Amino acid sequence: MQYHYARMTDEANPESVMSRSLTALILTLLFFLTHLTAAQPPEQATDPSIATPYQAVFVFAGPSDSHRELTSLPAGVEVKIIERNKIGNWVRIQQTREDGRVLADGWVLSGYLTLDERLRFSEIPINTEVPETDRIKQRYLTVAELYEVPVIPEVSEAMRAVYVRGQWLGNLSDVITKVGDSVAANEQYLTPMRLGNYELGAYDYLAETIDFFGPSLVQDSVAARVGMTTYVVFDPLWADKEICRPNESPLGCEYRLKKPSIAVIFFGGNDVRHMTDADFDLQIRQLVEESLAAGVIPVLSTFSSDPDAPLWWQSINFNLRLRDIAAEYEVPLINLWAATRILPAYGLEQDRVHMKNSGWNYIKFTKGNEAFYGTTLQNLLAIRMLDELRRVLEMG
Amino acid sequence: MSRLLWVLPVLLVVAACATDAGGNTQSGDERVARVVEDYLQAKITGDADTLRGLLCSEMEASLNREANAFASVTGVEIEDMACRVNEGQSTVTCTGQIVADYGGEATTFPLTSYRVVQEDGEWKWCGEAG
Repeated sequence: MQYHYARMTDEANPESVMSRSLTALILTLLFFLTHLTAAQPPEQATDPSIATPYQAVFVFAGPSDSHRELTSLPAGVEVKIIERNKIGNWVRIQQTREDGRVLADGWVLSGYLTLDERLRFSEIPINTEVPETDRIKQRYLTVAELYEVPVIPEVSEAMRAVYVRGQWLGNLSDVITKVGDSVAANEQYLTPMRLGNYELGAYDYLAETIDFFGPSLVQDSVAARVGMTTYVVFDPLWADKEICRPNESPLGCEYRLKKPSIAVIFFGGNDVRHMTDADFDLQIRQLVEESLAAGVIPVLSTFSSDPDAPLWWQSINFNLRLRDIAAEYEVPLINLWAATRILPAYGLEQDRVHMKNSGWNYIKFTKGNEAFYGTTLQNLLAIRMLDELRRVLEMG
Repeated sequence: MSRLLWVLPVLLVVAACATDAGGNTQSGDERVARVVEDYLQAKITGDADTLRGLLCSEMEASLNREANAFASVTGVEIEDMACRVNEGQSTVTCTGQIVADYGGEATTFPLTSYRVVQEDGEWKWCGEAG
């Protein structure tokens, strides 16, 4: 009835029909104009590699604080990201004048920059020419040696063999586990990968790896517990009696239950207070050997330490032991120690043992937290190492 | 009164016999259970000398690990420990738990069944019973 009335009205007023058609035409034109404008961002924002430091930053000659400082940049100046390191936490930037003259060219932590939301590290070239460290700047030989250990190493052929053997033994390619003390057991370390939600920002290339391994972290590890040391990871008394067999060590129990292809191992903070570096060496060797025998790739990590802490030199010795063992068995070693040198308080909590948490309970690399919080950087490096293993070993 | 004087020595003899007859077995079991209790006590305090004396020969290589089992935690103690020997005297089952503190966080370790072996006439702790 209403329709009929409308028709009647239109037929009765041809001017009204004309006016309505004109309105529709104008609206359509407006719609297209609006969308065309929205699709074209302002000219100055077209290059996503343009960034600005949000605080004054030092520019280094290479991608670590072991390199000399070339200059500093005030907050807010525009720089262009030219290259990045293997991870993306260090980027090579250039500051240029309008006439094209380069005012500054060097490396800064990407976490100090306000990045364009469209920036993708997968599209930024990786610089493999500039060494990660500059030995000349180091005063002590042992410290220089520790700096020289790559933050993320190449995956050895030996690990391919371990992986293949693990598959033959029934290990699961998309399963990883954590082994270690409270720093490893920390709910904010790797465990958030299981949630399925993450904000990677420019670290887009890590998404597939998180999706691949994340679900395997749903169940907590029997072999990662507060107070755990390289001694007690073999002590059945420390195993979960509800799920582990009698006389089964936490490590053996975890490997039997989960059948992981990779174990991310983190020890040092507790051990350094109670044992000699020679004993630590023996225990880490046993840990590596038992992992390899089970067809599990053990990913070792150096641990952060504070030069003003009483156990500084002992921690250097422990970390050098880790370096030596990793080299001997050709297992991956993340050099967290070197990467945390530039972080406030070396990425540590006030107790100088635990890594500082950002407070986010999911993986979040969008706010530059990896340049400030030990746990965020630890997550970034561990996921980057897992990414390397997944790609090189063609895990999936 | 004279009846009481007659009953008293009889009771004493009966009591002595009972202790002798059952006491040997009971004190033997107690001795075995005591080895486990002493072992666990030495383990929480990191008393390497005591552990060495109570550890069976096949586990000698684990002495360092056993002595350092609680080095990283504080306030370690055993709560409500009660151990009893199982039939055959080869295993001892303990109830209770070890509690420890790590940075203000309590962590617990329930006690379980342990294997014991006799070496040179002495009972030794020999790991968990499977």
